[in-house]
Amino acid sequence: MTSPTEPPEGNWWDEPVSRRESMWLGIAGIWSIGIFSWMRGFTEFGDQNPTGTTYDVSSEEYRQRVSEYKNAAEDTDRGLVPPGDDVYIGAMRYLWDGLPVVLETGKEYDFHIGSYDVQHGFSIRPEGTLSQQINLQVYPDTEWVIPMTFDEPDTYHVICNEFCGEGHRTMHGTLVVEEG
Amino acid sequence: MLARITDLFENDYGPDGFRTCSVTGLDIHRSAEKYVKLFGLTAVIALVVGGIFAFNVAMTRWELVGLLEPSSYYTHLSMHAWNLLIFWMVFMEIAILYVGGPMILGRRLPWTKVAAAGWVTMVVSAIGVNYSIWTTEAPNQAPLLTAYVPLPVSSLFYGMAILFLVGATIAALPFFVTIWKEKRGRPEATLPLIAFGAFVTGIIAVEAILGGIAAFGYALAWRLEFIATADAGVYRHLYWIVGHGTQQINLVAMITVWYFLTHVVGGAVVVSEKVSRSAFILYLFFINMGAAHHLLVDPGISANWRIWNTSYAFYGAAFASMIHAFAIPAGIEVGRRRRGLGGGLFGWLTSAPWKNPIFAAITFSVILFGFLGGITGVVMGQMQVNMTWHNTFAAVGHFHATVALGTTLAFMGLVFFVVRTMFQRQFVSGFLAMLTPYAYAGAMGIATIMMMYAGILYGVPRRTAEVVRNIPGSDFSLAAATPLFAVFGIFAVLAILGGVCFVAVAVGSLLFGDRINEGDNDDLLPEGGLRSDGGKPVHAYDMRGTFTLCLVFMAVFVASYVLNWYLLTELWAIGL
Repeated sequence: MTSPTEPPEGNWWDEPVSRRESMWLGIAGIWSIGIFSWMRGFTEFGDQNPTGTTYDVSSEEYRQRVSEYKNAAEDTDRGLVPPGDDVYIGAMRYLWDGLPVVLETGKEYDFHIGSYDVQHGFSIRPEGTLSQQINLQVYPDTEWVIPMTFDEPDTYHVICNEFCGEGHRTMHGTLVVEEG
Repeated sequence: MLARITDLFENDYGPDGFRTCSVTGLDIHRSAEKYVKLFGLTAVIALVVGGIFAFNVAMTRWELVGLLEPSSYYTHLSMHAWNLLIFWMVFMEIAILYVGGPMILGRRLPWTKVAAAGWVTMVVSAIGVNYSIWTTEAPNQAPLLTAYVPLPVSSLFYGMAILFLVGATIAALPFFVTIWKEKRGRPEATLPLIAFGAFVTGIIAVEAILGGIAAFGYALAWRLEFIATADAGVYRHLYWIVGHGTQQINLVAMITVWYFLTHVVGGAVVVSEKVSRSAFILYLFFINMGAAHHLLVDPGISANWRIWNTSYAFYGAAFASMIHAFAIPAGIEVGRRRRGLGGGLFGWLTSAPWKNPIFAAITFSVILFGFLGGITGVVMGQMQVNMTWHNTFAAVGHFHATVALGTTLAFMGLVFFVVRTMFQRQFVSGFLAMLTPYAYAGAMGIATIMMMYAGILYGVPRRTAEVVRNIPGSDFSLAAATPLFAVFGIFAVLAILGGVCFVAVAVGSLLFGDRINEGDNDDLLPEGGLRSDGGKPVHAYDMRGTFTLCLVFMAVFVASYVLNWYLLTELWAIGL
């Protein structure tokens, strides 16, 4: 009798383990190591990693940087054309400062994302293929620089996916990616 | 009616205050049973409150109905989350600790005044949390479950949340004293597996509670202006110790309930004490690392920190879950084979007591937790894949798979069991009781899958009142996901009706069910009674049915993993 409601009898530690349970332990163990290795390896050879550089910066200072960037950018009907490889985006209730922005395919941009007030969620997807989407967390007092290179021209929609207040659902912006 | 309610807390005890349970054979003391009932009933009340708000929340996200305006949606969402994810679960878990400690060990509940003080503190603070959410006014915002700083949330909320954590700690003390006394009295004896599982649950709970007091204390100090600013990153690190930690308590408590109830109503045995206990130990060390998967796409955290916490360490817990995923069905398979009920590959399973709602609830809990909750948890917990899941409706699908399907179903089974064995009441409707796990598991399962699809395939975010048919101020919407939401909405309603069935049976039986007489509960027991010995050691029995099921599970796991990574690599290049 081996009941979970009673203390095990005798030397239970040395009781043999069923062959099939041992096999399952092996399969589960190998799988765990395998998916760890793949994730670690992907940071070396993969093109999609949520990694970048972060700076501590006050919200006021970050707002100033975004403002300077906007002044330097070319203002067109479709949106701002960045002056170089840097794209600054400031999240605030309930808009994305710096959007819309006009980008080119095949060019690596350093996206700077930060917030002027509370936490927000930076969620982007191309209009043509909604299943292609990335989601990043945006903090106040933090500037996160994360590089991105777009392959396909499309209009990419940015919505906030972190609750930031009652008007949260209206927080929308666009990245217009054109053939480079 | 009052007499009927007070009568619920009475049973025929001997002069020493003990009685022997006719189903489990356990020696149960009046003190332990009384408090298990008290905490269990309170949990069901929280379930009812949270369930009412579940309807409002689901009918708002189904924008065809669009029940609530955003101004009230977030309040209702917060009520839904706190009553179901915290109060329903934690009150049940204290009851489980009292079952796993004093009842399993055949002891009286020590420190009953402390248990009572814990209950009072928890009830007062739970009402306080609900009050603070319901009375939220600008500039304060509804806290949701997370109450992320620096979004202002009322200081009353943080204060009441801290008080609730303190109350749960007080209520858990008699359990720890029980274990202490047991080990003092019988230092050489090994704890039964259920008591061991409950003990691990208790330790993980202490870790979570300390994190919660730190997180909410930090936020409260900021709201009361003891400190000028609150750092979003620091708060998130602290918060997720409790935010995910509480769900880890649910997980370990649920698995303990799995072992208990598959044994009592399904005749399961423990196929290897060594392996199952080692899995609990792995949880003890590693499961809280799972909390890191909330921070995978946050700024300011190194890749090495994320990889260490979410894989190197956390896979210790994922491995443990895969161990239980084998051990639980294998226990049923061996238990039934030794009763001569195991013909062929799956005869042990097809002949199982599927009409017993307790068995059905537990089995669906195991299957749905594993296939829907466990797999998605590990997949979305990969640093890169997390970019496609983070804060989408798919994440909501994941935790409905773990908590609304896995844990809630297991706890529903336990409540039914307690109604029959401790409250000693017949089900007011056997048919409705039988129907409950099928209706709830089936409908909630489909609603959950729709949430996952809406998040992954259409990028629908969580925590919004509307975005599918209409993003105000924009001509863009996620309308392509509308058909999924139609299915989601219908099955969410059906799942809530399944929940109504559960409450109707549980509460109806307590108030109007016939009292159990001797022999009335024999139908709960597996064929041949609880004790069965086939004459050969457990490990010598064939476990090929379970092994086959686990291979199917692994195939689904691998397919989900590959599919998610495929979707990820279709994205544009991002990151260093």
